[in-house]
Amino acid sequence: MTRLFGTNGIRGVVNQDMNSTLALEMGQAWGTYLKKTIPRPKCAIGTDARLSNQMLKSAITAGFLSTGCDVIDVGLVPTPTLQYTVKEKQFDAGIIITASHNPPQFNGIKGTADDGTELTKNVEEAIEQIYFSKLFALSDWNDVGSYSTWDGAIELYIKGVLSRVDVTSIKKQQSHVVLDCGNGAGSLVAPLLLKKLGCVVTELNCEPDGTFPGRHSEPVPENLTLLMKKVSETHASFGVGLDGDADRAIFVDENGSYIWGDKSLSLVGKYITQKTKGGITVTPVTTSTCFEDVVRQNKGSVVYTKVGSPIVAGVMKKNHAVFGGEENGGLIFPKFQFCRDSAMALATLLEILATEKRPLSELIAEIPSYEMLKTKIACPNEKKERIVNQLVEEMKNHQEITDIDRTDGLKLYMKDGWVLMRPSGTEPIFRVYVEAKEKHQAERVALFYKNLVESLMQRA
Amino acid sequence: MCSVMKQPISKLIFRAYDIRGLYNKDISPEIFYKIGLAAGTYVKHTMQGKQISVGGDIRQSSQSLAHAFIAGVTATGVHIHHTGTTSFGQTLFTGGKLKADLIAFVTASHLPPEWNGIKFYYGDGVGFPEENLMAIRDLVLRDSFELTSWDHIGQVTPVDAKKGYKEFFTSQFKFKKKLTVALDCGGASMTLSAPEIFTSVGLHMIPVYCDPDPSFSKRPSDPKPKNLTTLVSAMKDNACDFGVAFDGDGDRAVIVDNTGQILSADQTGIVIGRYGLKKNKGTIIVNVECSKSVKEQLEPLGYQIKQIQVGHTFLTLEAKQTKALLGIESSGHLIIPEYFLFDDALVVPLKIAQILDNIKRPLHDLVMESPSYPTRKEELECADDIKFDVIERLKQDLSKEFEQVNTMDGVRIDFKEGWVLIRASNTSPIIRLTAEADTTAILQDLSTRFMKKTQEMIQQKKTAL
Repeated sequence: MTRLFGTNGIRGVVNQDMNSTLALEMGQAWGTYLKKTIPRPKCAIGTDARLSNQMLKSAITAGFLSTGCDVIDVGLVPTPTLQYTVKEKQFDAGIIITASHNPPQFNGIKGTADDGTELTKNVEEAIEQIYFSKLFALSDWNDVGSYSTWDGAIELYIKGVLSRVDVTSIKKQQSHVVLDCGNGAGSLVAPLLLKKLGCVVTELNCEPDGTFPGRHSEPVPENLTLLMKKVSETHASFGVGLDGDADRAIFVDENGSYIWGDKSLSLVGKYITQKTKGGITVTPVTTSTCFEDVVRQNKGSVVYTKVGSPIVAGVMKKNHAVFGGEENGGLIFPKFQFCRDSAMALATLLEILATEKRPLSELIAEIPSYEMLKTKIACPNEKKERIVNQLVEEMKNHQEITDIDRTDGLKLYMKDGWVLMRPSGTEPIFRVYVEAKEKHQAERVALFYKNLVESLMQRA
Repeated sequence: MCSVMKQPISKLIFRAYDIRGLYNKDISPEIFYKIGLAAGTYVKHTMQGKQISVGGDIRQSSQSLAHAFIAGVTATGVHIHHTGTTSFGQTLFTGGKLKADLIAFVTASHLPPEWNGIKFYYGDGVGFPEENLMAIRDLVLRDSFELTSWDHIGQVTPVDAKKGYKEFFTSQFKFKKKLTVALDCGGASMTLSAPEIFTSVGLHMIPVYCDPDPSFSKRPSDPKPKNLTTLVSAMKDNACDFGVAFDGDGDRAVIVDNTGQILSADQTGIVIGRYGLKKNKGTIIVNVECSKSVKEQLEPLGYQIKQIQVGHTFLTLEAKQTKALLGIESSGHLIIPEYFLFDDALVVPLKIAQILDNIKRPLHDLVMESPSYPTRKEELECADDIKFDVIERLKQDLSKEFEQVNTMDGVRIDFKEGWVLIRASNTSPIIRLTAEADTTAILQDLSTRFMKKTQEMIQQKKTAL
């Protein structure tokens, strides 16, 4: 079956593949799905700051209403705010119009279940099936859903975050934070939250603007140069950059150095497992070994998953994990909610600094360091499966390989590193991740597998 | 609940003054999305405009349809001011204040609750003419829309339509007397504005069906006399100065006098014309269906009576052009342009209250000053494909035969003691005959004569086919 939902919802270019007809019918398909088990579903809808939000929101709202679902519009909010609202206010579903970190011409639709977690693959497929069948359970004129607005989501969410960190200690340290919201939905929450935590805030791009005039919304180093500069210039305690829908946070230390997501994930993982004296943590196979190192030091364990935050959140829930997240700045705090949450990440980092009373750079320096190399290898889609199987055959008796993991693609563990080859779902390539202690080791491994795949392809 | 497969859009939903149909049968969110695309395309290209104000009446299907319409409009790059669920007047007033290029209101007016639709007005309150509505129809039927790029998508601004509207009325109306008014909103859209405004301008209100009831379960949304029994009995119990009943969206008001007599729009118009206007010179507009007593009563006071064709679009347009003081549609739409050009029904009872506040006489006395003539309405079946031909031929023949013949809308023949109007229905395979005369005997004679003439013409055309 053709898939609409990708790893993080449905995405596309506005008025091309992401248009109102799709949104309207998606609302009808999803509404039809909800009506199968719930007589009168209540759905919360929110959007990020993109220019096409209201168009798509109106279209999908019309779809939900027409199938007899009530729609409660919470307005422009970060994704985790909507998710928290769904959980706390006991809605039956959450809809967020966002394309996360994608360029401004994109937009998308993301869904949550009644607990605020992202939809599972099974549910997505059930909705897709209804979508493609076009057999929508449309309500009669007297049973069409009602539409209302609610503007309490942000207040509810900030209250929720504040109740889960040590506000008194955080306030005492009076951190100076440079905050870069990238003109995204985080602008509505992060400045307010930081002020409530007693921080002095230097704001960058904290006006919601769907053209993203300040920077691209993906918080990668090249997009956070201004933030890094501002942190060192102003001698701030640290800096933080959010993505478009504010589910991910990337930090910059007090010297203005970019902190990779693996490191911040590990820092928070270390802090939490210390407090919980171990416990299960969850992260995708792409995450650096440094995370496992710090968790194990605290007698905790790591469960690895396929890539995708909904999968991580699902495994966390099943395993009663104490913490989890991704290497892209998406941290999940199960005591708060089972989804990536930048505000909770930010508040927790402040709590760590208040507890440790040392600069962020020092804390990061204590996290073990590995060299990670990301590259890609060309391979036609139809050959991918065969190539992976051949690789397994080729390598399983290789003396260098200590373990083979098939959680997502193929991950080969070596004595002091690993290589991961994941077939891309959209392009004729393998995404290759290599981690080693030294850079030259990583480069050697990458080249080795590139050559190996190429020779396997020639043989095939 | 039903599953609907895609079906072609019926061109019949596009009527002369609005779009209407049965929800989930003739109209749906998909179709309203296309109507939104067409309206946006029209505003952008034909009007060189930028924004549309949108609201919806209280019907349960209105918000679904309004949201689909908004999705279509914004996809063309035209902006939206969204008033939400309101009475007709609230959205029209707010759209006017915001200088909307077009105002769209989702409603099926007085039709039963399983119906819905949409009607358009310009920002100045003039109704959207038929030919322009047909231009939108053609865009819909031809799927001829222009989607804009991501960076020009229309933005939606939610606006409050209640506050400014209420303030307008509290600034315009103040009463010295404590008037008691029975208010029948029929559970429809006027529940959202009228009770609050009546109270805030100082009227003592006896509420009848003033709680929102989107399925109109208590009384049908058409305020015709047989649906107003509860109102009339509530008035008798409470000794009211007058009563008022509104239709589903609030563009028609029916006034009941202190004796419980239900007034026609013409009677209400005459009272307002005689006692309620600030100037005693100027134009009063009536349509070809209005009673001859309007002219008989108001012309001697110094007003100029202008007769126009049927339809609130013509009423509003003509009122604007002639700077009219009052406009009367016999179907119940009244406009008092000192407030609005559009046919907001709320101004009618407030104007009546103002008159009673200034005059020490009960409303029934004022009504009885003017004679009421007997009228007769008949419907003759006539196929859609020949009905307009029949009217055309009648126009030609009757113009030769009679002296005073008006052909602006159907054909109206005036005599000293009465008149006859023969019109083709815009929406049904019907020719309507309306007659009014000084006495029942003359009425019988007139209507029978012209019924016969019409029947003969229909027969002729049928045979010619």
